[in-house]
Amino acid sequence: MNHTLRNPWVYALFVIPTLLLYGLFFIYPVIVSFIYGLYQWDGVTDKVFIGIDNFSSLLHDAIFLKSLGNNFYFMAFSLVVNIPLVFLIAILISKVRRFRGFYKSAVFVPVVISTTTVAILFGVLYNYDSGLINQVLRLIGGESWAREWLSDPHLAMLSILIANAWQNIGFFIVLCLAAVLNIPKEIGEAAKIDGVNGWSETWRITLPLIRPVMFVMLLLTVSGTLKVLDIVQIMTNGGPFQSTEVMSTYALKIGFRSLQLGYGSAIGVAMFVIILIMTAALQRVSKSEEVQY
Amino acid sequence: MDRTATANQAAVSRAMNGSLRTKNRLGAGQLPMHLLLGLYVVISLFPLVWLLLSSFKTNREITVNTWAFPSTLNFENYRAAWESANIGLYAWNSLYVTVIACFFTLLLSAATAYALSRMKYKVLSKRVYSFILLGLLVPPGALFIPLYRLVNELHLYDTHRALILVYCTYALPITIFILNAFMQSIPSELEEAGIMDGLGAAGLFAKVIIPVTMPALVTVFILAFIGNWNEYIFSQLFVTTESLRTLPTGMATFNDGYRTNFASLSAAVIISIIPVLLVYMFLQRQIIDGMTAGSVKG
Repeated sequence: MNHTLRNPWVYALFVIPTLLLYGLFFIYPVIVSFIYGLYQWDGVTDKVFIGIDNFSSLLHDAIFLKSLGNNFYFMAFSLVVNIPLVFLIAILISKVRRFRGFYKSAVFVPVVISTTTVAILFGVLYNYDSGLINQVLRLIGGESWAREWLSDPHLAMLSILIANAWQNIGFFIVLCLAAVLNIPKEIGEAAKIDGVNGWSETWRITLPLIRPVMFVMLLLTVSGTLKVLDIVQIMTNGGPFQSTEVMSTYALKIGFRSLQLGYGSAIGVAMFVIILIMTAALQRVSKSEEVQY
Repeated sequence: MDRTATANQAAVSRAMNGSLRTKNRLGAGQLPMHLLLGLYVVISLFPLVWLLLSSFKTNREITVNTWAFPSTLNFENYRAAWESANIGLYAWNSLYVTVIACFFTLLLSAATAYALSRMKYKVLSKRVYSFILLGLLVPPGALFIPLYRLVNELHLYDTHRALILVYCTYALPITIFILNAFMQSIPSELEEAGIMDGLGAAGLFAKVIIPVTMPALVTVFILAFIGNWNEYIFSQLFVTTESLRTLPTGMATFNDGYRTNFASLSAAVIISIIPVLLVYMFLQRQIIDGMTAGSVKG
């Protein structure tokens, strides 16, 4: 066994190509991002070193703060609306005796459709005149219920959140369902003997036992909603009046449209740091309350 | 014969039990659960069905009566979408970029995971492994500006190679994570047998490790495939030539131009969905298991 797997040249051959690519397209841009953030630079004329000015400007940039707020709105909506719905549907699927496979496959369909397609699909659904949603509202409540879903600054963000929920919930349902079905049967039987049944079993036994998956869902939701980009860019591109601007769309505009490469990089770095802090905080909380079967 | 007999017995006993427990089954509230789930399934699928119906209508029909079935089954919208939206070309570009990137991702990550999990440099391997896992924390969205400049400096701007390299690299951390975990669980007796047969490290990798790791490789292939096939923003940033665009970017461009032509837009969307839905229908099980693997126990 020993010398065959101990040849340093072979080891290097297996590892170095990966490290080269990873270093060039991943680590190098991370470092460069931090460095660009310290300069004022239009990409054409010489860079001017301005220290942390870009970062301190962020704190006074109303549009950046608005976009940060929108990211948090996105996160809050996903945590408060999507996740409880995910639990409900997953637990219902685990409790029914027939069609379980059908439900599982059907709820997953939106997950495999690309975000671009989902954005376009909902653009069509939200259309004022012929979109399905306004048609349904007209049918049940009359003309006054119809809305300009994507061009009303008060509704645009909510409309994106609904489209995003439609696309992503299925993935979490299947994840959660897998965890629920993974719970050893003996636990449920023991609970029945102790007289715990039905929905109280769900509350007192199932939910606490699927904590590891809840943690994964939290983590994915938090990091996913902080870095969201595609769906916003295609549906509204941050408009109307910056009402749906998020950090990524703003960074792209600053970097590629107004050519402030330093400031754009600073927004990217800020995003990275915020995600890092939130993830670390979550991890700390979850460590303090681990469960065992 | 035997099997049929057993099946019959099982059916009989199930029917008897069933008749005894029927009341309990409905009483336990199965019906309301099916109604709720049915409602949810309708919400998940109806937008797609509506879009499919719309794709056969004229724009006037869509506006006047959204609910009606199309008056005729005409494929005019599909012809228009196919010709004016270049869907076929975009899909081909996506397939080309996706498959090559997936191939390199699998090759590199399998080799790396093999070295890190099975070869005898424990301390070094641990360091390299955690260094690569750092990549899971970095949002690609924070790196657009330096990446864009890098791609330009390497003269890769507006080429498929740029996309292939970036897709391949960005899939590496999660892929290595999954493959490494899988390879850790391979018993070393398998390799010892291979060494007895005179295999070197490369031979062990190709003839012992790769075949055993196949299930995990299929999973990560599907994950990477769906990710690359649907990727939008890098393709948007790095490719400008119309004929090189991938499907998501091409669709977004078409959307900008045809916002009011719902009939053509619906047809284009349906065309773009069909390949993924077919893949999903055939590989359902692997896709769902693959996407949930690791996160449930981890």
